[in-house]
Amino acid sequence: MPKLIIDDISVAVPEGTKVIEAAEQVGIHIPRFCYHPALGSVGACRVCAVKFLQGPFKGVQMSCMIEAADGMVVSTTDPEAVDFRRHVIEWLMINHPHDCPVCDEGGHCLLQDMTVSGGHGMRRYQGKKRTYLDQDLGPLVQHEMNRCIQCYRCSRFYQEYAGYRDLGVMGIASRVYYGRFGPGTLKSPFSGNLIDICPTGVYTDRPSRYKGRRWDYERTPSVCIHCCLGCRITVNVRYREVVRIEARYSPTVNGHFICDRGRYGFFYASSDRRPRKARSGGAETRPKNARDEAAHRLEEITARHGSGSVAVVGGSRSTLETLAAERRICRQLGWQGPSLFTGTEESAAARRAAGHLTTDLAVSLEALKNADLILVAGADPINEAPMAALAIRQAARNGAHIEVIDPRPVTLPLEYVHRPAGTDKISEILRGLGKPSTEDASGDIQDLAARLDQSRRPVVVCGAGKIASERTVEQAARLARNLRRAGKKAGLFFVMTGANTFAACRMAGDPADLETLLLMIEDGKVRALVVVEADPMSEYPDLARLVDALAKLDLMVVLDCIDTETARAAHVFFPTQTFFETGGTLINNEARIQQARPAFAGGTPISQTGGGSHPPRVFRDDIPGTEALSAGQLLMDIVSALSGGISRSVEEFDGVAPEFSGFDPVEATGERGTWAKLPLRTAAGPDSPQMGGETPIKKGELLLVESVYGTEALSRSSPWLQELESEPALTLHPEDASRWGLQHGDRCELSTEAGALTVPVHTSRSTAPGTLVLPRHRRLRWQVFQHFRSGLDTVRIRKTGGEGA
Amino acid sequence: MAKIAAADLERIRDAKAQEASFQDRIYCMICGGTGCHATGSIGVKEALEKEIVEKQLSEKVKIVETGCNGFCAMGPILVVQPEGIFYQKLSVEDIPELVESHLIGRKPVERLLYKDPVSKKRIEKQDDIPFFAHQKPIALRNKGLIDPEQIDDYIAKDGYFGAAKALFELTPQQIVEEVKTSGMRGRGGAGFPTGLKWQFCQASPGEIKYVLCNADEGDPGAFMDRSILEADPHAVMEGMIIAARAIDAHQGYIYARTEYPLAIRRLGIAIEQAKEYGLLGTDILGSGFDFDIEIYQGAGAFVCGEETALMRSIEGKRGMPRPRPPFPAHKGLWEKPSVLNNVETLANIGQIIRKGGKWYAGMGTETSKGTKVFALSGDVNNIGLVEVPMGTSLRKLIFDIGGGIPKKKKFKAVQLGGPSGGCVPEEHLDTPVDYEAIAKVGAIMGSGGVIIMDEDTCMVDMARFFMDFIQDESCGKCTPCREGTRRLLQILEKISEGRGEPGDIETMEALSEVIKESALCGLGQTGPNPVLSTLRYFRDEYEAHIYEKRCPAKRCVALLEFRIDPDICTSCGACFRACPAEAIAWKKKEPARIDKEKCIKCLTCFEKCKFGAIF
Repeated sequence: MPKLIIDDISVAVPEGTKVIEAAEQVGIHIPRFCYHPALGSVGACRVCAVKFLQGPFKGVQMSCMIEAADGMVVSTTDPEAVDFRRHVIEWLMINHPHDCPVCDEGGHCLLQDMTVSGGHGMRRYQGKKRTYLDQDLGPLVQHEMNRCIQCYRCSRFYQEYAGYRDLGVMGIASRVYYGRFGPGTLKSPFSGNLIDICPTGVYTDRPSRYKGRRWDYERTPSVCIHCCLGCRITVNVRYREVVRIEARYSPTVNGHFICDRGRYGFFYASSDRRPRKARSGGAETRPKNARDEAAHRLEEITARHGSGSVAVVGGSRSTLETLAAERRICRQLGWQGPSLFTGTEESAAARRAAGHLTTDLAVSLEALKNADLILVAGADPINEAPMAALAIRQAARNGAHIEVIDPRPVTLPLEYVHRPAGTDKISEILRGLGKPSTEDASGDIQDLAARLDQSRRPVVVCGAGKIASERTVEQAARLARNLRRAGKKAGLFFVMTGANTFAACRMAGDPADLETLLLMIEDGKVRALVVVEADPMSEYPDLARLVDALAKLDLMVVLDCIDTETARAAHVFFPTQTFFETGGTLINNEARIQQARPAFAGGTPISQTGGGSHPPRVFRDDIPGTEALSAGQLLMDIVSALSGGISRSVEEFDGVAPEFSGFDPVEATGERGTWAKLPLRTAAGPDSPQMGGETPIKKGELLLVESVYGTEALSRSSPWLQELESEPALTLHPEDASRWGLQHGDRCELSTEAGALTVPVHTSRSTAPGTLVLPRHRRLRWQVFQHFRSGLDTVRIRKTGGEGA
Repeated sequence: MAKIAAADLERIRDAKAQEASFQDRIYCMICGGTGCHATGSIGVKEALEKEIVEKQLSEKVKIVETGCNGFCAMGPILVVQPEGIFYQKLSVEDIPELVESHLIGRKPVERLLYKDPVSKKRIEKQDDIPFFAHQKPIALRNKGLIDPEQIDDYIAKDGYFGAAKALFELTPQQIVEEVKTSGMRGRGGAGFPTGLKWQFCQASPGEIKYVLCNADEGDPGAFMDRSILEADPHAVMEGMIIAARAIDAHQGYIYARTEYPLAIRRLGIAIEQAKEYGLLGTDILGSGFDFDIEIYQGAGAFVCGEETALMRSIEGKRGMPRPRPPFPAHKGLWEKPSVLNNVETLANIGQIIRKGGKWYAGMGTETSKGTKVFALSGDVNNIGLVEVPMGTSLRKLIFDIGGGIPKKKKFKAVQLGGPSGGCVPEEHLDTPVDYEAIAKVGAIMGSGGVIIMDEDTCMVDMARFFMDFIQDESCGKCTPCREGTRRLLQILEKISEGRGEPGDIETMEALSEVIKESALCGLGQTGPNPVLSTLRYFRDEYEAHIYEKRCPAKRCVALLEFRIDPDICTSCGACFRACPAEAIAWKKKEPARIDKEKCIKCLTCFEKCKFGAIF
């Protein structure tokens, strides 16, 4: 640990720490533009100059380039260094517009801060400023090159850190230009980070343009709910409207960045289509009436058919608090559920994954970056949990070997080996690798087995849900555990289906999944359904069957914050608050408990109530649109209106599940919410029927998969992300395509007994032979295939467009 | 051609020597350098070939297209060997007479010979011409003597014997010692001891290492590396083989700019031939040592001559320098230990190994050993490429070898070391060519570009030209170089446009100091040199521009005001007829007058007036 003195403060830092970082540790913020902790040093901007008074270096030097060493005495305030920095800032300001008071970035601009703190107050340069033409980078990022100070952060992030090539630097000398090399929209699903990383306003947030300034916003730390990773975010709210999401630094989860789905998926929260009123029989009603009606009818049904005739259906986008309320209600009132998963297989896979995740095996995204070998099995990181792909890329940049075993044409922004194996083969391969002696491994995977053998920090990244089976999960966990036993710092990283899937695994009751519950509805055992923040009608793969079943119900009560098909079919509907309004606890795929505070009190945005003008013309003494309550609270309210109901506060977890007794999310997450204290232990349970062995796929199978935009329940309504969606297509191996006379670019009709849909055909050699891949896209009526993995014996494929059609 | 063994080198050399001595042949060495190509040597060569066939001399006369002869100002050049008769400025029309008189009649054509500008006498032999007589060619030893596209020609001149010695007789340590003994310093400009560089890389741990050749010559007025590559590509490759053996590298890259198509073509041929002989590839000359060379063409960015930028460019990235340390000897190309040497440095290595480091150290000064190649250009009679021993004075270089300043103008200054260098005025002309001595007078040795300026040169304009070059070639990475040099240029432009203000000189000085301190790489750190060195010696010219709004050398057009001296004017009307702006009023027998309002300061009248009446 080198010890040095910075501005008379002594500090000891780990070997390899740069002086600029060492200074930060004692609270001295040395000016910087090009330096960024995630991107490292390049020494381009020259503004982090400090004076070295003693030690191996002397004189004015760049603090980002020099590693702290014993005996160094550094002054950041030496007149020579101050003068040096003042010059550099003056140079940068030569061409920078002087419009800070009206600039989008003003108020949260690093350049503005540095210019003021650097003492450059008088402009000496009299000449013209350099100007550029800007590019249209798409709906998310606004380009304004005249503000550029050429720090190279954007191109370094975009190309080196994130691995996309369409944006970068052009030209040399004073003609340096940062932008896309060709016309079009930014290709990277991480493009929004350009906005956060740019030290000035070259890249600004386009959806929030002209909606306010940094100091106008209510800013609240929160957690992203658009996938299982739980990245940290900062929510910006103005006039009751969520206007912008920014990445919030987390040393263990997402680092400095988030993906565009997480950044721009928030539209639902302030959408004018968001339901704000309770409805009964399709007509708006007062909340109390709706509650009384729901309670009354539930009471009637239980009186007639018994308490087991009511079931709760929930989902993984609910907070832990809501899930706990569902579970407690079901247990205490003897209701069925809560059924928190869609399918039986998905539920089994997810719960097995959660059972296998022990504290020693679970790795964070940060730890994933430090792996030296990553085996991705049955997961498609870019589409299912984008930030995981970014973490895997960092591992690859550090020299890790990356291997993907998946039937889908997985694309990652890095170099990797892809083994396109059918879903039935993944677990077999993992089993081969998981044997203690690699000699048993079949020839095909000898090479991978040998690499695993040589690795020191291998991580198995495994899907756990609709595509990867319970058996795959089991084998992935066994492999990780065997590697651990072999003395490696092996890790296990499950890509789960929803933001709170881990919590759902612990909170799910009996039946745990909708598929099983449907049987109970069909045979008339269950007569009433309380659906909490879930939308079976756009999530269940057999819509016809679902509709028939729901028609048999005496009552369907739906609680949700978005307008869904299920909500529209409800007998009684209650609007709920979004996660931005409730805050709450989420448990991510790593079993990390994270708490978010409410970002605002809710209500209809002023932009909607005022009809475009502000202040609104109609004055009232309450805040419009605040009928909504948190789903958990609403549920408790309904239940407490039942005679003999329960009336305990939502936050209490006692008696819900064993590991939650005495659980306090605030205490568990601590002030900064850095680590979960939820005790993890192997609770995988006995093998379920699927575990006996994979049913070999005979004629091939069709997989209904997630894609980065257009499939996730909340973000798919974002108009900005909808602009970026590519047309959902059927992807298959070219040899399979020729079986049906299909070629890349053709259109084809996929039909089952339940219906048909027409999609373009994409062929890809990295798709497993025998596997057809189709996204569960909002634009497709994909619920005709009945299963997330359906055998091709039930699907007909017919060419409808293209050459020779 | 089949692979050869070490012993075959001698066989090839001796066979070549016999071929030359037994057959009473005349060799017409026609210069095929880029300079002579530009003045028409290809046509001359074709005419000569045709004439020889017609005169049935094919048996007796052999035409060899050589690389650059060096005396570029006199192209197209033909040297008739073995006597070494030097013909200059040939045209296709001269060929029949030359063939008839010299090749058949054995009588040199007097009018096509070199004429000494001082004694006005014709000089027959190349070696007697002062331009050549004062030179000591080592790196350029084969220029004009061999066909660069024939590997046997190079072997005949003891080529690859140094490599053979390095492979069979010396250990890597001994090679490094030999180079250290020679006192060789990097000829690219910085002058870092080559042996030491190799030693660092040799000691650097790593299985994969690279030898790189920097042929990204970019200084305005410099063409040493191009000429060496065009005239003697094998010499550079031999140097690389030896370097590879010293540091145990097995792959080499020559980074050459695309603007050097002839050099790249000849290098390509040389590499092919060397591979066929087994001088490159696996098991070189049967030694068990493997080494291969690839040419990497750069797009001509000046900054790619900087070593770290060059390596990034080979890696396929933007050619931008990165801070050192780590030095390339530890983390170079693809983060592997690498040695990067300049073309001229490598061209000397074969000789140093063959003849020994002591031999090389026997030439030169205390700290600068051996010889140095210079490219003379600008206001000098003998524009061309010369190689002189270190310690030769600048005066000798410019006046004895370079033949002095044309049109009887006075010498003003010489710019050494390209844009990053500095200018040396008359008073320091006796400075010897020596890294330290030149640095003392405010310039740098640099890669060898020598631009001579006569009294008509405005030093503010000169600084502006180089500043324009530097700011334009900045890679754009670090702020001081990208913005600071541009700022300097803007101030210089302001001064030369007559808008200079008191305080500008001080601002430039202050700016220059910060840029020198703060820039990331050598390009930026030396960027302000044109300003600093001209200010050092010609501050009065700056002051005249700023305070008197006057350009003493009459170069800064904005500051000029043309008048006609009625006492000198002969009323010839030449100025009136030439003026494109109709700004001159003239009647016969009356002195002409210039209308200041109409004058566009195009200098046409000034140049037309034979009597110096316009000023």
